[in-house]
Amino acid sequence: MRCTFCEKEAVLRLRHANLRLCPEHLVARVEKEAEKAIREFRMFTPEEKILVAVSGGKDSLGLWQILTKLGYHADGLYIDLGIAGYSERSQGFCEAFARERGLTLHVLRLKEELGAGLDEIAQVMHGEPCSHCGTIKRYLMNRAAVDGGYAALATGHNLDDEAATLLGNVLQWNLEYLARQYPVLPEGRKLARKVKPLIYVSEREMVAYCLISGIRYIYEECPHSVGARSLFLKRILNELEDEAPSTKISFVKGFLRAHHIFPKAEETELRDCPVCGMPTTSSGPCRFCRIRERMKHYAPA
Amino acid sequence: MPGMVTLRRREKIFSVPEGKNLERILRDLGILPDTVIVVQNGKIIPLDYWPKDGEEFELIDVISGG
Repeated sequence: MRCTFCEKEAVLRLRHANLRLCPEHLVARVEKEAEKAIREFRMFTPEEKILVAVSGGKDSLGLWQILTKLGYHADGLYIDLGIAGYSERSQGFCEAFARERGLTLHVLRLKEELGAGLDEIAQVMHGEPCSHCGTIKRYLMNRAAVDGGYAALATGHNLDDEAATLLGNVLQWNLEYLARQYPVLPEGRKLARKVKPLIYVSEREMVAYCLISGIRYIYEECPHSVGARSLFLKRILNELEDEAPSTKISFVKGFLRAHHIFPKAEETELRDCPVCGMPTTSSGPCRFCRIRERMKHYAPA
Repeated sequence: MPGMVTLRRREKIFSVPEGKNLERILRDLGILPDTVIVVQNGKIIPLDYWPKDGEEFELIDVISGG
């Protein structure tokens, strides 16, 4: 199997793009697709300072590498969620990545922020741990980007992530979430701009990108994600993709073209949280502060 | 007796007869080919490759996230 662009042997066939790629052209394509999304959605400019949220996984570390290679000023942010063993190992991959490339990595620790890690929160709080984890991460990522004076907060959400989120939102016809699902969310008062440069890059391409680029990443899954709905939605999408290649990219691109038809919810007035001062739609303390309050009463066994 | 090929996916080990390409092997194991990347000695192996007796491969899962 020859590479579509040169005489070398191809290692990956991308049926959805009708391409066969050698390692060099796979790397070039991933970087080009990220750059395309950054420009198309005007995510940020080369003059702006970006904060990349890194988990130690392939997508976020891959994204950090891509942004750096494309010449953007990108620092990293790792949030130690306090998941026994897993968090230490994830942090190790982020630190090694930053050290080897001379990049700046900021670290926030949930145990310092909330007095407890996600393992304890999962025991005490009702509902899915992934939902609390999402709340906590969004809060801390936003605060770090705002306080650090970064122009945008970049996350490693890839094409498969976006397609799975979209399917979940469509299955429930969650119009509010559909209106908010977009590769760039503008900044506001005490709110950082949020961007997803990997929106056009598949999960498979990101694994290949990391393998070829020598990026070591955490391969094990978060112990709390077992049975997560997003994994189930991804499996369904992969079945569809196998039958009809380019299902996922068409699904996401078609949605982005039609995005304007989803009505933006009435601008809910944002108030300052009386506890931390960060913006919230709640009339009382924000969700993060409510979790912190709840965890104050947690007594470790 | 056909030769055997070994594939390792996390803690699972599959031992399959040679005589098929990697895509066919994966499909026969019930694995969608695009949900894994086949690696040998750190190098990505294309799915049209026909493994030979005694060869070993690692299957890297592509799907992640919670």
